[in-house]
Amino acid sequence: MKMEYHPLVKQLLDGELTFANLPPELRAEGEQALRWVGAIDRTPVAFPAALDERVMAQVRRHAKSPAGRAWRWLLGSREIDIRFHVRPWAALGLAAAAAVAFVVVRPRFETAALRAPTYVRFIFYAPGARTVSVAGSFNQWDAAAAPLVPTASPGVWTTTVALPLGQHQYAFLVDGVRWVTDPTAPTVDDGFGQRNSVVAVAAQDGGGRAL
Amino acid sequence: MGVLLAVAVASGLPAQGRVPPEVAAVVEQLADSAAAVGLPVEPLREKAIEGGAKGVPGERVIAAVRSLVARLGQAAAAARAAGLAKPGAEVIEAGAFALNAGLDRREVEALVRRSRPPYTPAATLRVAGTLAALGVPAVETAQLVEQAMDAGETPGELLDLPQQVERGVARGASPGAAAAGLGLGRATAPGLTQPHGSPQGPQGQGQGKGQSHKP
Repeated sequence: MKMEYHPLVKQLLDGELTFANLPPELRAEGEQALRWVGAIDRTPVAFPAALDERVMAQVRRHAKSPAGRAWRWLLGSREIDIRFHVRPWAALGLAAAAAVAFVVVRPRFETAALRAPTYVRFIFYAPGARTVSVAGSFNQWDAAAAPLVPTASPGVWTTTVALPLGQHQYAFLVDGVRWVTDPTAPTVDDGFGQRNSVVAVAAQDGGGRAL
Repeated sequence: MGVLLAVAVASGLPAQGRVPPEVAAVVEQLADSAAAVGLPVEPLREKAIEGGAKGVPGERVIAAVRSLVARLGQAAAAARAAGLAKPGAEVIEAGAFALNAGLDRREVEALVRRSRPPYTPAATLRVAGTLAALGVPAVETAQLVEQAMDAGETPGELLDLPQQVERGVARGASPGAAAAGLGLGRATAPGLTQPHGSPQGPQGQGQGKGQSHKP
């Protein structure tokens, strides 16, 4: 059953109003509400005395089970000794194999590093702005994706964005309505009669760097 | 209606809720045409999304995408003329960016031709485009980048050129004068103190983490 009381009746139930303060037209509703509340059984719940013992018996039974012991053995820590008997020629062979593996695998790691994003910090001075965000080709021009936060310096906003390799165009959106270019960055025609700021992330030394 | 829906689902544009379906349909047609001649299509979708985000009218979005298709085509043609039989998306996009920044097709072609290892055409074009976007005249931009490669600058030093020009501009030089000072290999431009090719390492290295984009 779903029952929605008048706000004044709710205040009555919360003890914020007395019944006398209730307007006459709400008194019937107030009486009914008080009856409902009064009908609620407020007797404290008392658990049987044997409940604790029954619960602990279950716990002990579980602890004694073979499956439980095996599980604890698997998860528990213990000291073990491992000894290798290695012949020098075998050790040299293993070292050579490791060197070959390093040479083969390393370029893949370097390729992965090239694909890793480069973190670029955007700083924008917008005194009096309520919100500032940066949107660009790196976040599908989603103004909600990279909001700037105000810094301790009045009017200065900042955020850090992970950019992939490549050329990116962007602009700051101030108060959700005004697109503004970065005054410290190069700009190009955006094709819509305005300009976009430009930041490029180029590959270098196995990572990326902003131009 | 079914075709339009299929286009919508395939493109992902209307799913963003920011590109009207009729604009998305035209953009997808343009993208199909572009893909058929080996041009990258992602920049076209991005431009449409950008227009939608900025609240640009649909016809203007379509015009901007058409213009971008043309620029990508010019960049691809320049790269092919420079000897790249099948230029990749990265080179074409960097070429289109350089064209948008003010370089012409012949300059793009020349830069691609000069970008032999250890230089890559895409990086060279990005540097040139960034210099032009900073306000360095196109002719001086192309000359500066070519001089840097001729002088045996490392690829990392080539990437430093825009920052060096920015430093010159910050000290009072015009972009052209700052670039000219770098090209001469000495600090002749007003406000420039760091000679071109100085041993000072590029800023913000170290796996590219935690860099600041010039505040």
